[in-house]
Amino acid sequence: MDVQAIKQTARQARRYVLQMNHRAGKGHTGADLSEIDILCTLYMAVMDRGQARPDQDRFILSKGHGAGGFYCSAAAMGLLDPEVLSQYMGDDTLLAGHPVHQKLPELVEINSGGLGHGLPIAVGLALGNKLAGRGHRRAFVLLGDGELAEGSNWEAAMSASKFQLDNLIAIVDRNRLQLAGKTESIMPLEPLADKWQAFGFEVLECDGHDPVAICEAVNAPSTGKPRVILANTEKGHGISFMANVPAWHHLVPNDEQLAQALAELED
Amino acid sequence: MQDLRDAVIATLLEAQQAGANLNVVVADSTSTSKIAPFEKAFPERVVNVGIAEQNMVGIAAGLALSGSTVFTANAAPFLLARSNEQVKNDVCYTDTNVKMLGLNAGFAYGPLGATHHCMNDIAIARTFGNLQVFAPADAAEARAVTRHAIAHRGPVYIRMDSDKVADLHGDDWRFTPGKPEVVQQGRDTVVFCLGTIVHEALAADLPNVTVVSLPSLWPLDVEAVRTLITAHSHVISMEEHVISGGLASIIGEILHQQRLGQRFTALGVPPYAFTHSSSRKALRRQFNIDAAGLRHTLEQAAQGVFA
Repeated sequence: MDVQAIKQTARQARRYVLQMNHRAGKGHTGADLSEIDILCTLYMAVMDRGQARPDQDRFILSKGHGAGGFYCSAAAMGLLDPEVLSQYMGDDTLLAGHPVHQKLPELVEINSGGLGHGLPIAVGLALGNKLAGRGHRRAFVLLGDGELAEGSNWEAAMSASKFQLDNLIAIVDRNRLQLAGKTESIMPLEPLADKWQAFGFEVLECDGHDPVAICEAVNAPSTGKPRVILANTEKGHGISFMANVPAWHHLVPNDEQLAQALAELED
Repeated sequence: MQDLRDAVIATLLEAQQAGANLNVVVADSTSTSKIAPFEKAFPERVVNVGIAEQNMVGIAAGLALSGSTVFTANAAPFLLARSNEQVKNDVCYTDTNVKMLGLNAGFAYGPLGATHHCMNDIAIARTFGNLQVFAPADAAEARAVTRHAIAHRGPVYIRMDSDKVADLHGDDWRFTPGKPEVVQQGRDTVVFCLGTIVHEALAADLPNVTVVSLPSLWPLDVEAVRTLITAHSHVISMEEHVISGGLASIIGEILHQQRLGQRFTALGVPPYAFTHSSSRKALRRQFNIDAAGLRHTLEQAAQGVFA
């Protein structure tokens, strides 16, 4: 794993997010910046996408409002032409405000945006891989922490455990903020690790902005259970005045803020 | 006489034995779906997620992403309604290869009450986009629709009944998606029927009335429906479903779009009404969607009274 390459790519993805959302005048800037290190680490150091579908590791973006972070990470990793970022949320665009499989069939597995959908789908995918004799192929799903209030996640968690899906890896982007404020004041999730454990998951925690820590958690030896990684992150991470500020969930930078943010991302 | 569910499961079993790559996901509904023969032959291909319809549909979409053709089977009142957003996003919008069997639709659960009556599945199904919608009326239609669903790559909803019903078609019958099936040829009046209600229309014993089964609601051969309408002066739709959004709406939209002037009577559950606990027979009688109700409608029409 080339840690420096991942970090540089993530930094480029952050620049793209700021520029793209600034240009579009729209976007979930905080949520985008929260997830980038996880995405870049998964795609650059973890997932095996060398074969054609369905014989490859697959990624489901359950927090569909993080589409911008996903597009920009893809652009920074060379999976998407950066020129396309100028289309973000425009008319007839490839880059919808929430990802659309038909627009980017190679990148987007599922049309997400409604919350609480990704884990059941990932359970089905991991189960299908097992049933098809491809149990070594893993299903990764990135969940927002706010969306864990949706009951469908816990329906899916029960079934992942029943079906012993050791090829399922759920990652919670645990930035502790959602649209209206702090997750712990709106609908408390803690003790979150205990909840997942009670549902039969192996629970690991890591710094969600550290590629090494993310990688270690993902690649830890299997205990035969489905795995959840509570990735501690900051909404708006990387930009001093955005980090941990709830309003940046869907604010976009003005000219001055863009200049300052880009300056903070200088190597 | 055959239960449509037996016909569907037998068809799935045949297809799997012939090398199809099917998975069936149920939400505790193994007895409701009569899945036993399939499960006995292919136990690993039946996934029971417990009483969790949202999860059932999401998992079905994920299984489809893994490369298989996936059927879900669940009591109709809890399928599209409970998992509406999963059906919309994970199945229809993403175009995953998922087929949904809505079991015991209509008043099949009559005495269990309104919570278990499925009065609006067709209305819901018609609004998703990218969803083929079927309502077979006999075992032959159920088998044909199931074979079509397996062959068609994309989302399908099949409204299913639970009663044993008579065969409508001979051995030489061939299913064409969208085609209205004339099961009794008459004149003056044409009755379009949703699913197994066609048996009530036939039981009305009105030899001069044309009775049509519409196993395929979408796709629908609108031109063929129009031809049937224009060959008659009075059009009736008959359904164990609310009039709003169901078969009455389908026929009414065609009448309107084609600027047709035929008299139109919609037999079904009125909009904004709740059904209550009674036998299916009593509920059909209450809402005039049985043989007696159809005869009464025709007698009224003969006297110039149109509902």
